[in-house]
This record gives sequence, structure tokens and C-alpha cells, in this order.
Amino acid sequence: MHPAFNFSAYLIYLPVVVVVTWLVAWILFKNSKVFMIDIFHGKQDLALATNKLFETGFYLLNIGFAFWIMKIGVELSSPRELMEVLSSKLGGFFIYLGIMLFLNLYLFFRGRRISKSRQTNINPTAGLHPLS
Amino acid sequence: MNILAYLIYFAITYLITVHVGLRFYRNGKVFIHGLIPQDTALCEAINNILLTGYYLVNIGYATVMISFWKTIHNITELITEITASSGLIILTLGLLHCFNMSAIYYISRKKQLLHPIKP
Repeated sequence: MHPAFNFSAYLIYLPVVVVVTWLVAWILFKNSKVFMIDIFHGKQDLALATNKLFETGFYLLNIGFAFWIMKIGVELSSPRELMEVLSSKLGGFFIYLGIMLFLNLYLFFRGRRISKSRQTNINPTAGLHPLS
Repeated sequence: MNILAYLIYFAITYLITVHVGLRFYRNGKVFIHGLIPQDTALCEAINNILLTGYYLVNIGYATVMISFWKTIHNITELITEITASSGLIILTLGLLHCFNMSAIYYISRKKQLLHPIKP
């Protein structure tokens, strides 16, 4: 009887994890295009390529981590245990996903700040060296 | 049971590796062009060689990992082993990708310090 509960836990865990990761990535990278275009000073192709690369990295890291931690070491013998173990796993993964989301957001803001400050630093010096 | 697991595992890792490789190939072109703007043929060559190296490393790594598998007795162990192994591969792929992105960032920053962009 007990392996059946472990198996159904995996069957619930896998689709939930994949769908939630996809949803988070979709929302994050739909909205990050604005940041990217800002960071690369309106260079559309570079901005969209970077966005795509970040999206791929986000999927790889999160889906890989979710698959890696899936194994439930104990044998589940009742539906109550199944719910408890499954919710702790899924909750832990969602917290990790949230931390990754904010890390990405921090990177976007940092890139935007750096590219802004670089632009304002370069503009005045350009006038000082007319030959360069 | 192990044979079935290997087949499913190979299908998953192969699909993900090839798909991700094509994504990197298409989107990485812009960056190599940005770093070497004068020579388009050289960019194409570098990009192709990078793609080949990437495939070799990843498929080789996925294949080597096969030898560390335990014997699989039932379908629960099958699903656990496949997910854990492919998860590890995907995670490594992601970490390598982050490393590459930061390498591109530092190279382009160094280049920009030597030849700053004209406003």
C-alpha cells in the first residue's frame, strides 16, 4: 500500500512545480523587457537576446532544483502524511522561487542603475576630449 | 527496469540539451557580434565551435552519470531516479549558463574600459 502514496505525491508534485515555474517565468520576463531596453539604451536586439538568455537560465536553475529535491525519503502511509510532506516540499520550493525572483529583480535594477550612471559619466568627458 | 529508465532519461536530457543549445546559439550571436564587430565570418565560426563544445560537454556528462545509478525495482524508484538525475543535469546546465553570462559581462566591461562607447 505505502508505495502508492509516494507515487501519487510525485505525480502531484511534478506538474505543480513545472506549471508554477512556467507561470513565474512568464510574468517576470514579460515585464523585464522594459528593464532590458533601458539597460541597453534602446538596442532592441541585444536587449531581447539578453532577456531570452536570462529566461533560459531561470528555467534551468529552477526546474533543475525542483527535480533534484523531489525524492521523498520516508515512506508515506496515510493521506495526512502525504499532504504534510508534500506541502512542506512545495512550500520550500515556492520560497526558493520567490528568492530567485527577487534576485533577478535586483539584477535588473542594478544593471539599470549602472548603465544610467555610465551614461552620465561618459557624456561630460566626451566634450573634454574632442580628439578621442 | 534500468534499461527503461535509461531510455527515458536519455530522451529527456537529450531533448533539453539540444533545445537549450539552440536557444543559446541564436541569442548568443548578438553578443559575439558585439565583441568582434569587424568580422562576421569569425563570429559564425566561434559560435559554431562553442555550440559543438557545449553539446559534447553536456551529452558526455549526462552519459557518464549513467554509471552511478542504483538498481531500480519498481515504478516509484524509476520516477525518483530519473527526476533526480535529470534535475542535477539541468541544474549544472543552469550554473554553467550563469557562469558564461558573467564571463560575457566581464569581457564586455573590460572592453568598454579600454574603448569607451561614444555617446
